[in-house]
Amino acid sequence: MSETSGTPSEQPRTVGDRSAERAATGATIRLESLTKRYPGSSDPAVDSVDMEINAGELVVLVGPSGCGKSTTLKMINRLIEPTGGRIRIGGEDVTHMDPVKLRRKIGYAIQSSGLFPHMTVAQNIGLVPKMIGWPKARIAARIEEMLDLVGLDAGEFRGRYPRQLSGGQQQRVGVARALAADPPVLLMDEPFGAVDPITRDHLQDELIRLQHELHKTIVFVTHDFDEAIKLGDRIAVLRERSHIAQFDTPEAILTNPADDFVSGFVGAGAALKRLNLTRVRDVEITDYPTVTVDDSLQEIVSRVRSSGTNEILLLDRQGRPYKWLRRGDLMRARGSLARAGTPVHDTVTRDGTLRDALEAVLIDNAGRVVVTGRRGEYTGVVDMATLMNSVQEMLEADRLDAMEHQHDLEGAAGGEGEA
Amino acid sequence: MNFWEYLGSRHQQLLADVYQHASAVFQCMVVATVLGVVLGVVTYRSGWAGNLATTTTATLLTIPSLAMIGLLVPVVGLGVPPTVIALILYGLLPIVRNSIVGLRGVDPSLVDAATGIGMSRLARLLRVELPLAWPPILTGIRVSTQMLMGIAAIAAYASGPGLGNEIFRGIASLGSKNALNQVLAGTLGIIVLALLFDAVYVLIGRLTIPRGIRV
Amino acid sequence: MRAPESGRGGASGLGVEAGREAAIDEGLAVADAMSRAAGLGWRKLTFLPAVLVVGLLCTWLWFRHADLDPLSENALSNGQVWKALRQHIELTVISTFFVLVIAIPLGILLTRGAFRRAAPVAMTFANMGQATPAIGLLALLVIWLGIGRKAALIGIIAYAVLPVLSNTIAGLKANDPTLLEAARGIGMSPLGVLGRVELPLAVPLILAGVRTALVLNVGTATLATFGGGGGLGVLITTGITNQRMPVLVLGSILTVALALLVDWLASLAELLLSPRGLETGSG
Repeated sequence: MSETSGTPSEQPRTVGDRSAERAATGATIRLESLTKRYPGSSDPAVDSVDMEINAGELVVLVGPSGCGKSTTLKMINRLIEPTGGRIRIGGEDVTHMDPVKLRRKIGYAIQSSGLFPHMTVAQNIGLVPKMIGWPKARIAARIEEMLDLVGLDAGEFRGRYPRQLSGGQQQRVGVARALAADPPVLLMDEPFGAVDPITRDHLQDELIRLQHELHKTIVFVTHDFDEAIKLGDRIAVLRERSHIAQFDTPEAILTNPADDFVSGFVGAGAALKRLNLTRVRDVEITDYPTVTVDDSLQEIVSRVRSSGTNEILLLDRQGRPYKWLRRGDLMRARGSLARAGTPVHDTVTRDGTLRDALEAVLIDNAGRVVVTGRRGEYTGVVDMATLMNSVQEMLEADRLDAMEHQHDLEGAAGGEGEA
Repeated sequence: MNFWEYLGSRHQQLLADVYQHASAVFQCMVVATVLGVVLGVVTYRSGWAGNLATTTTATLLTIPSLAMIGLLVPVVGLGVPPTVIALILYGLLPIVRNSIVGLRGVDPSLVDAATGIGMSRLARLLRVELPLAWPPILTGIRVSTQMLMGIAAIAAYASGPGLGNEIFRGIASLGSKNALNQVLAGTLGIIVLALLFDAVYVLIGRLTIPRGIRV
Repeated sequence: MRAPESGRGGASGLGVEAGREAAIDEGLAVADAMSRAAGLGWRKLTFLPAVLVVGLLCTWLWFRHADLDPLSENALSNGQVWKALRQHIELTVISTFFVLVIAIPLGILLTRGAFRRAAPVAMTFANMGQATPAIGLLALLVIWLGIGRKAALIGIIAYAVLPVLSNTIAGLKANDPTLLEAARGIGMSPLGVLGRVELPLAVPLILAGVRTALVLNVGTATLATFGGGGGLGVLITTGITNQRMPVLVLGSILTVALALLVDWLASLAELLLSPRGLETGSG
């Protein structure tokens, strides 16, 4: 699915400015002492923010409500006009360009989707391409492509009105609309704030996948720190007046919060949260003796004996984990394996998080979980001991990294201001 | 002469009155709608201007129509001018109020989204705000029209056009045989016209309100 | 910053009430915001009477120096103006009283269990009634009941009952169903729910109904003259038929002044009588 939908270049039609668009994927954003001061209030709402966001990076602005994170975001597309400082996108100073033109080059997705209720899904998505004068055929193709990209069936959803969609579907369409004109930059203002936790989780996964394909520069605002950890390449923890308390990778923030404010915001369970950041493929996966359903009972029994373990994993014909067989099961099997052993319920993929793995291990009565590959085939097993070792090593490594990082910062602090 | 015979014998006069009544109300409604929506668009953004427009129109609405016509006659004379002015003025009020309420009622996050995806102010107004405010505006137009039907009847006293003349002829000849027929013809005519107009508005609503925001 | 601006806009009609609250309550955080609303509210409240007084004064001054021919003299002499005014007020007050006595209990009845099914019918009927021209209704009643005050009163009442009725039904229906459920849930009887929850919640609405009825009735009462019911309409019609502008203008100005004054009084009543904590209903 992703092969066909990734970039527009596969389509032979409308070759015109294709190359330019491809190059446009992602652009750097630089905020230079960006300030917003509302008339009549003594303190600025956003006080001199400096930030550099690399092309293709997903940066999350996170902070308590009223800290100015949303204001900061809205200054990037000048929904709120800054009263001081500069914004550069892809090196170009956009602080004074026509805001309407600017916004057409920046995708914008907001809480509860912001879809126009009087327009169909297709009209909503096609809005920006239409405004910038794409030909009709290209818009139609693009709508299809975008719906496909966000995992909605174009034939089914194109003609629907927003209120005929679930919250999650609306949000997907909102993202599709934001991406429709292929903007290099995408701003997202608590886009998943109004959907239920399960859908939110889904949408977050979806966004990660999208970003993997598209490499846009995304600025994402949330007050949910877990969401920030899950999505962000880097996280900016903001305190009041949008002061940056810490701007770093999720790992660094979790293991080495810059101050009490940040650690307060990280909250309890930093080690658990850290598990979300590591994939199963990053830890040691042990091999386990396996047999397949095609092996004879005789072979299986001898295999168990020779392996020296109490248990063996039975795979089906496609190599996918099927059952755990114990010695005792084999004794009672009497020639047929049909009813012997315990079926494998839970597996994790190599791309799953360590947190998922831990969850599965905790539930499993023998304290281990089967790891599968892309097509569900067996690749190994992770058990409690492996997990604990890996976490220990990981945290140790983080600590070392963080200390090094600290040194670097202290070294740099002499020359430059804090970033 | 019973009512049906009366209708039969006077149908030409009656049809002329019906036509004049409908045409006066319709034309005044067109002017009132345009003026009302424009007033709403101009004032809804500013708190005080919008409130001023609403308060003024609400105050005007409390003025009895006969008194309004009475004040207009010394200035513009009898006949069509006071009728048209009074009809437009009264027609304006519900439309201005509903335009302002409708435009202000548009979800601010949608306006924000429209701005955020790069719509100019005019595009935002024409493609997002007005379409979303259209149902209440249409309701305002319906309310206005019904009201104008009755007011136009009263304006006939100041020699205005329409079915009101039929009613006043009946009142003038109270006690005569035809009084009831005349009043009944005028009154029923206005009711039928009002219901017809209303049906047309329902149809317009069906055609112009997108399915996505229809209740 | 942005949101409050759009949120406040529509609420100015409520400013009056909010201001009243501030004057009574010792709210701390809200007091600041409300005192502004209060200023606005009281300014609005004093503005209208001031305009009326000035307007009437001007009319009076103009009238003292106006040349009145015998016909106009005749129409205005012997306290006829006062009589018309008194009749108009009487018509308004009496009809409003009956409108409320009929429409509000009927509205309550139509939202109770067994009668609830009749409510849509009544609403449809009310909407149809809106299409009836007041002057036609009045004329028909006069033909039926004969010339006089009775026909005029019945016409005025019939014309105002329907809007007040549909307002009452709509308002009672708009009461938050979870509140009613809560009331039943804590063991209130149906009568208790009505008397202690629904009606107090509907007070602003009923007051709005009173205002609607008053304003409508002042207007319809001008038409009473066509059925021999008297009122300020007499001056207006005399002015128009006899082409006597001073009579016409005096009648019109007095009618306008009375209508505005009645509306103002009703808004004052809404302000003073609305239960605290309820900010809906006016507007």
